[in-house]
Amino acid sequence: MDANISTAERELVVTRVIDAPRRLVFKAWTQPEHIARWWGPQGYTTIHCDMDIRVGGAYRFGMRSPQGTEHWKRGIYREIVEPERIVFTFAWEDADGRPSHELLTTVTFAEDGEKTRLTLHQAVFETTEGRDSHVTGWTSCLGRFADYMLTVAQGE
Amino acid sequence: MPPDRLSRTFSALSDPTRRAILARLASGEASVTELAEPFDMSLPAISKHLKVLEHAGLITRGREAQWRPCRLEARPLKGAADWLEHYRIFWEQSLDRLEGYLKELQGKEKRRGRKH
Repeated sequence: MDANISTAERELVVTRVIDAPRRLVFKAWTQPEHIARWWGPQGYTTIHCDMDIRVGGAYRFGMRSPQGTEHWKRGIYREIVEPERIVFTFAWEDADGRPSHELLTTVTFAEDGEKTRLTLHQAVFETTEGRDSHVTGWTSCLGRFADYMLTVAQGE
Repeated sequence: MPPDRLSRTFSALSDPTRRAILARLASGEASVTELAEPFDMSLPAISKHLKVLEHAGLITRGREAQWRPCRLEARPLKGAADWLEHYRIFWEQSLDRLEGYLKELQGKEKRRGRKH
């Protein structure tokens, strides 16, 4: 049981080694003309990209799905350390433009020879007010944890 | 799942004691006394955690027996997990596109470099 708990406590982490120099990867994350070209799942197009790239600055992105549905997300930049790291909050907007549950996203860029190792952490806050004092990680591992618990619960 | 419900779920899950309680309940219902056993905590403190879990819909408590057994309700957890899974897909696919875009960009830079 302990193993399951510790697994569940880890954050959502996605790692990629990208075949491009770090300065370029960092640029692709911090300049609107670049972001608009890759942001979002396959087949989505960026329809709006407004970013005030400085600590405390806000961003708002809009994208359109292949079926024509619009999705908007917004957040605040909390840390920008060129060319190593950016930290920002991330929340999807609902149909009335209200942000949903907020996540803290940290993207780090490490040099790996000629390539760049990108690591993306996503954490879920206990409350919006508590985010600076105690960031609590909750994860995609939660998926496995929850599936496991659901299986057990249904098996009874 | 509506955001307020998600927030309640995540808020309830943010505490290690509450996660441990849920993990314990995954193997069957238990009384407050049984749940308190592994922790160096008073019964009222454990009861407080149980109230948070109950409010978030993560557990239910029996009314019939005097010991009011706690039972795991896994559905809100599943909802939260599905929601996070969307994020994972979002990032994976975005990074796929980023890789493709950077390749294209570097190809252009190289071609431009040759012209000079």
